[in-house]
Amino acid sequence: MELYNWMVEPFQTGFQIRALLGGLLAAVMSSFVGVWLVLRGMSFFGDAFVHGVVPGIAAAVLFEFSPFLGAALAALVMVSLLELIHRTTSLKEDSAIGLLFVGMMALGVVLISRSDSFQGSLTAILFGDALGVSWADVQMQLLFVIGVGLMSLMLYRPLMSLSFSPDKSQALGMRPQLTHWLLLLMIAAAVIGSFQAVGTLLVLGLLIGPAAAAALITRTVPRMILTSLILGMISVTVGLIFSYHLGTAAGASMALVAILGFFLILTIRETVAAIVRRKRSTTLVEQGAS
Amino acid sequence: MTLVEAHDIVLYRGSHLAVSASSFTIPHGKITAVIGPNGSGKTTLLQSMAGILTPSAGRLTVLGQAVKDVKQDISFVMQSVVFPTGTPITVKDVVCMGRYAQRGWFGIFRPQDRAAINYAMETMNITDLKHRHLEELSGGQRQRVYVAQGIAQGHEILVLDEPMTGLDLKSMRIIDDVIHAEVEEHGHSVILTTHDLDEAAAADHVILMDGKVIASGTPEEVLTRQNLEKAYGLGTLHEPADVNGTTVVELPECTSEGDANVAEEQSVGYGERFRRYEAY
Repeated sequence: MELYNWMVEPFQTGFQIRALLGGLLAAVMSSFVGVWLVLRGMSFFGDAFVHGVVPGIAAAVLFEFSPFLGAALAALVMVSLLELIHRTTSLKEDSAIGLLFVGMMALGVVLISRSDSFQGSLTAILFGDALGVSWADVQMQLLFVIGVGLMSLMLYRPLMSLSFSPDKSQALGMRPQLTHWLLLLMIAAAVIGSFQAVGTLLVLGLLIGPAAAAALITRTVPRMILTSLILGMISVTVGLIFSYHLGTAAGASMALVAILGFFLILTIRETVAAIVRRKRSTTLVEQGAS
Repeated sequence: MTLVEAHDIVLYRGSHLAVSASSFTIPHGKITAVIGPNGSGKTTLLQSMAGILTPSAGRLTVLGQAVKDVKQDISFVMQSVVFPTGTPITVKDVVCMGRYAQRGWFGIFRPQDRAAINYAMETMNITDLKHRHLEELSGGQRQRVYVAQGIAQGHEILVLDEPMTGLDLKSMRIIDDVIHAEVEEHGHSVILTTHDLDEAAAADHVILMDGKVIASGTPEEVLTRQNLEKAYGLGTLHEPADVNGTTVVELPECTSEGDANVAEEQSVGYGERFRRYEAY
């Protein structure tokens, strides 16, 4: 009973419930997208992408327009510049991503440094303001979740074949180039829809952590998506509980639990595998001796 | 009947010119082998015929139409060395993927799709592996899975990229049987790339490449000393008597240990290896 009270206590008031809802919706969106990021080996790209939207949101704060629009414009600029570097130079993709990662982040900080409340605005953009999530934010997030969820279902076969092999995807008529662009759109939607709750930097924890952990313990992609969804929602809930009781930042707590979850699952998996190996080896030795 | 007709096609890989202006034809209902040294453009040419790469110049038709219009009739089988690491994908998932070509992004799988998948897995002797991950398979098993994916797709033309490279004897035999069954029993066409001159000599039609198509025709027409010297540029080649009665050229002169391995691999084809093993 005491444990139950300890767990529900952080969700008694309206703003706490909105923080939980905002976090859960962010976790759902991030899981749908994060699985494909992990499968396609695009985690570094995802990292750059979440930094890339910072100047858009900073401009929105500075010039008072919708941060969703600002983030969308910044995402478009970032992807266009990546494509430009890819088409016009022989640089590998990670160099282009690295350039834009720093460039966009620096531009965001430069822009926000023009704001009167530099410190507060920057912190809110980078690390989110889970306890400041309004019902309007939740409604907006819900629309993003529906959009991302539907796209994830519709794009299952093209994304699956693209993760398997872009050449094979092309040969099967799955239109890998279009699929890639739609995946970028999904990443943008997940980041834009989540930054209020967990911040642009920390949303990557929910994008990569649960998906990578799910990849360790599942044998098919649909199960990986489902497991990632469950792990993401657990991370958000546990993160908020710890945040409440320990007085830590909500967004960072959620992201940290998601990453710790990965290492916990990795440790359990390796321990179980070692025990199984030892048992099998012992059995084989005994069989050989007899 | 002509299966593939190419007029002065030029193929680029990004900014790199992979195949310069080449013209050739490939007959329908036959086995065609594409040979040439590493980097000669074999895979690129194969990918253009499978609709993966579009020629930047020239005209390429398959079954008398543009490749994009007959894509559904072409099954492309990848090399076994290419596979996604870290992806939780089972053998059955991979074979099922072959049916995407017929069902597109949204089409629901029907009984005939499931029948095609089961038939492909049985043909390639991988039914017992269907719940295994690609990462848990040997190269030979993985190649059989990829061929099964191609068979499941349903096709007129089976296009295979180095299907025999690095395979164990069992996998090699199964794939060889399938290739011949495709042509002799189903009336399909097979186009494959290979480094094995014996394998090429056993084909109905051969295309020799070295940055462009140097020669195209029957093995007797293409596998000549002059053509092979031109393509491989290894100096003196000699022509021994061949087990199949066709002209096969060995590549005995090597300049390094690496070349020695390649030459040994190329000079003893899988057909010859089968016969040696069967003689024991």
